[in-house]
Amino acid sequence: MLDLDMAPYAAFVWPAWGVSALVLAALVARAVIASRKWKRELERLETDPTSDASDSNRPQVARSAIGPLK
Amino acid sequence: MFGLSNPQRFMAFTGPLTPVLWAVAAVLLAVGTWLSFTVPSDYQQGDTVRIMFVHVPAAVWGLGAYSALGVSSFFALVFRHALADAAARAAALPGAAFTALALFTGSLWGQPMWGTWWVWDARLTSVLVLFLFYLGYMALRASIDDEQKGARAAAVLGLVGLINLPIVKFSVDWWNTLHQPASFLTPGSSGLDPVYLPPFLTMLAAYGVLFSALWLTAIRTEIRRRRVLTLRARQALEA
Repeated sequence: MLDLDMAPYAAFVWPAWGVSALVLAALVARAVIASRKWKRELERLETDPTSDASDSNRPQVARSAIGPLK
Repeated sequence: MFGLSNPQRFMAFTGPLTPVLWAVAAVLLAVGTWLSFTVPSDYQQGDTVRIMFVHVPAAVWGLGAYSALGVSSFFALVFRHALADAAARAAALPGAAFTALALFTGSLWGQPMWGTWWVWDARLTSVLVLFLFYLGYMALRASIDDEQKGARAAAVLGLVGLINLPIVKFSVDWWNTLHQPASFLTPGSSGLDPVYLPPFLTMLAAYGVLFSALWLTAIRTEIRRRRVLTLRARQALEA
């Protein structure tokens, strides 16, 4: 049976669960957004290699880069 | 296993695996949450026992994530393997978040049970040091413009931080602490009432699978980011 009455400790139990849920949700959202962003960017560069030649956002170092994915 | 150190094979293997991990984590979290609020309250701790189901998994996987960071740093430093460096970097943020959650929820559990939000005992202090190692690792990487130099410096810090892991684990045995000794993962018998084992183990598994999903996704993102940087650099040279 679901028990949601945390009295007299509601002020401790709900913030613990609430903040945990928020932080985990933020981690998931950040991971998914970053994943989509770089996937999209990589697809764009691989389909139209000339589109980014004048991009001012150039890497300072590319030596640590990883080779082709496909 | 070693074949996965090849980025192409890693991407091919983890492509279908990652969505499965996300789905399993979601199911385990939902079931674990349900179980956590259906078990009876503890006769001594009352409903604060339910904080345990988010506090302990966060602490365990905060330590687990640092182990992943440290071992990956070792391979990155010794073998200069780019994928190992990506793995170390990818473990830092979720590990820091889990450790912060362990500190925060532990404080919320400590106030009603111990009568204090914080005490400088060995367990709490060593976990705080663990959190500072995470912050230091991320800050060091971000503060050096040359990514390779930053990665190497951070890997050294990551390795040094491994020393803290046994201190966290055995702090409750080596020193007198307000924090209780290990009771869940003690060989032989668990100090936990059997009624709390299903929600506890489910949440422990949920946090573990969630960390795995976050970690793999972040490694895959890092591989793509570096590939983008490579392509941009190549285009800049050709332009």
